[in-house]
Amino acid sequence: MPFRILIALVGLLLTGSVLAAPLDVVATTSSMGALVRAVAGERLEPTILAGPERDLHQLQAKPSMMRALRGADLVVAIGAELEVGWLPAAINSAANPAIQPGQEGYFEAAAQVELLDVGGAADRALGDVHTVGNPHVDLDPVRMARIAAALAERLARLDPAGAETYRSGANAFAHAVERRVTDWRARLAGAPGVLLYHRDAVYLLDRFDVPLLGTIESIPGVPPSGQDLLELTNTLKGRAGVVIYAPYQPPQAPAKLARDLGWRVERLPLAPPLDADGTGYLDHIERWVDAIAAARP
Amino acid sequence: MRPSILAAGLATALTAPAAAVQASNEAELAELRSMLEQMRSQYERRIQDLEDRLAQAERQSADHHTQTSAPGHAPRAPDTARSQPMSAPTVAANTGTATIAPTSGAARATDILGALSSGSAFNPQISVILNGNYYQDGVNGTGAALVGQALKPPGVVHDHDHADDDDGHAHGGLNNGFNFTEAELSFSATVDPYFDAVTYLAILGDGTVHLEEAWFQTRGLPSGLRVKAGKFLSDFGYANRQHPHAWDFADQNLPYLNLLGEHGIQDTGVQLTWLPDLPVYTLLGVEALQGDQEVFGTTLDGEDQERLGLDTTEDGPRLWTLFAKFAPDLGLDQALQLGVSYARNTQHQEIQAHTHDLEDAIHENALTGDADLWGLDLVYKYDGAGPYGQGDFKFQSEYLRSIRDLNIRASAHPEAIGSRRIFTTDGLYAQALYGIAPRWTAGLRYDVLGLINRVSGDAHLDYGPSDRWTLNLTWNLSEFSQLRAQYARNNILVAENERERFDAFYLQFLMGLGSHGAHAF
Repeated sequence: MPFRILIALVGLLLTGSVLAAPLDVVATTSSMGALVRAVAGERLEPTILAGPERDLHQLQAKPSMMRALRGADLVVAIGAELEVGWLPAAINSAANPAIQPGQEGYFEAAAQVELLDVGGAADRALGDVHTVGNPHVDLDPVRMARIAAALAERLARLDPAGAETYRSGANAFAHAVERRVTDWRARLAGAPGVLLYHRDAVYLLDRFDVPLLGTIESIPGVPPSGQDLLELTNTLKGRAGVVIYAPYQPPQAPAKLARDLGWRVERLPLAPPLDADGTGYLDHIERWVDAIAAARP
Repeated sequence: MRPSILAAGLATALTAPAAAVQASNEAELAELRSMLEQMRSQYERRIQDLEDRLAQAERQSADHHTQTSAPGHAPRAPDTARSQPMSAPTVAANTGTATIAPTSGAARATDILGALSSGSAFNPQISVILNGNYYQDGVNGTGAALVGQALKPPGVVHDHDHADDDDGHAHGGLNNGFNFTEAELSFSATVDPYFDAVTYLAILGDGTVHLEEAWFQTRGLPSGLRVKAGKFLSDFGYANRQHPHAWDFADQNLPYLNLLGEHGIQDTGVQLTWLPDLPVYTLLGVEALQGDQEVFGTTLDGEDQERLGLDTTEDGPRLWTLFAKFAPDLGLDQALQLGVSYARNTQHQEIQAHTHDLEDAIHENALTGDADLWGLDLVYKYDGAGPYGQGDFKFQSEYLRSIRDLNIRASAHPEAIGSRRIFTTDGLYAQALYGIAPRWTAGLRYDVLGLINRVSGDAHLDYGPSDRWTLNLTWNLSEFSQLRAQYARNNILVAENERERFDAFYLQFLMGLGSHGAHAF
């Protein structure tokens, strides 16, 4: 009996790959996956390479990624060197000419919008700096709407039959973003600010004009020293705010700072759940907005 | 942060020179800075709002056009519709067919091809990795050489091969005290739409330069095929293709070190790999290599060949490899890869020397034939998702078996000529690494050579194994630097019934300068 189920499963897999969606799309993260679903709706189902609780900068290339990329028509990455430790290796090993950077099959979100933190000294004494700009564009819903529009055009070129679907999907997403951004702007007006672990949510803060009160790691990619924490506490003492850190960042320093400052501390992933679509993505942003808005003095 | 402070400082100096002069006290300066910062952020916000409104207007306009345009026609938006940012995105690094300017009529959101990168435009990506150590063993610094000369039949191998002469560097040539192993330079770039190429150079502590790898690989072959050619590390096994800086331990494992030599299978030739589009990752490969090896399928130099009446070195390729790797999908957090490899060197020559009791003369036997090598490998990785590698786990194990099927071609004992000797030696290593704390990794390795360590054919001899336990602790200060302490307990068979038991201790540093490299699985 189990053998028959296995046969059936294998059959499903094989037929599935034949009858599957018009394009095989691979997204590096769940935020890019959500964007693909927002634009393409039911038409495409992306394969996602990294879960929302993973540090995309520390991830390593795996054979399963190469397998997923092997037959892909399009890879949707955040880009700007965020995935530099593994995506180039995975793409190279996937032996798929269609998805090499520069080809139609390679889409980089960060290349579609203006970036923050561009330039600066290319000096590793300042930690793991990337002069090309801060890559974490996926936490800004307005930029994501623009990226969605660009993605729709790319999908339309690869799959002309679905062009209308993609364009209207991107449009609907942009409208949804607009509606909620208005609300969020109102809720976040005058928010006292956020203390982040790493400059990974600056796009969101910048969008809603929420002050970034500091980062717990004083140098990107290097854990803070006791002195750093002491200085932060001294600087921020008496002010209002909230500490937000990602699941893969160490919880001790955020907890200690929050305790010393009398603030709330929130552990929030940078990306939405794996199965998120456009709405799921916006709900994820809403969690961030809730956390930031709750930090009233 | 720096540029904005600089900008603030400049602006302060320009707009209020008097204030700047008088504002010798910090408070005033800080106030000016914060005012400027406020003005700047307000200004940016207003621009952002305008941009948002513009984008909104564009979309409404586009919607309007969609509604009014005849069905079947693509929606059109005004030329101005592209919501380009105020500051142009960094597209300098864009390669390929980037379409930046919207053509009239098709003024939808333009998407940009290519990858953003801080790499400078057309220079290859360059990195330098410094690898050095402080080393101490209990046998006057001979330990590092001993582990590479663990006893393999026929007992004493007269180290006569040419590899020592023209390839005189050894990563393991260590002294008690400070050692600079190598500075590894790597250059990589996309050559053109058809090829990628890389070069790795090792500059050793004494200044010698050794070409580790220099190869090109195809980018655009269909059907999952790729061809690589040049000098490269073979994809035989798992550890073979890793450079010393990528090892999880300061030194190479016993099976590789003894059965393949310091560099593993590093040779010149061609590789073809095929990654079929299957539901399970499957990689198949074949290599044709020249066969200039240090240990596995080595040949003697012309002088020795002539003196002993042996064949000259055959034309290449003499070394062939086949490998297959499989990796079931275990979800986002785990990875497993299994591999099986085979290599055959069609020509192998070696000199074995022995002495007889009460005689001074060294007797030489020259043996020729071929050599086979089998390998099995297994790698498992778990991504613990903790901060800075905490909770990450990696297990790696390989089994190698080398079979040299030789005939005695020249000997001081004429009756031995023509008789057959089959030398079989195998080896196994298993190592595990665990992220015990943020940035700290602990490693444990057991490696053994010669579980089977025998001579068969027309003579029968059996030797015992050499083995080693290794423990290490690595401090990953950042992505670019590592410090490692390593302790090993060695039990090395150096001659029949003669063992060296000694401790070896390393303090190693690894420093990565330059561009971010991506490591293959």
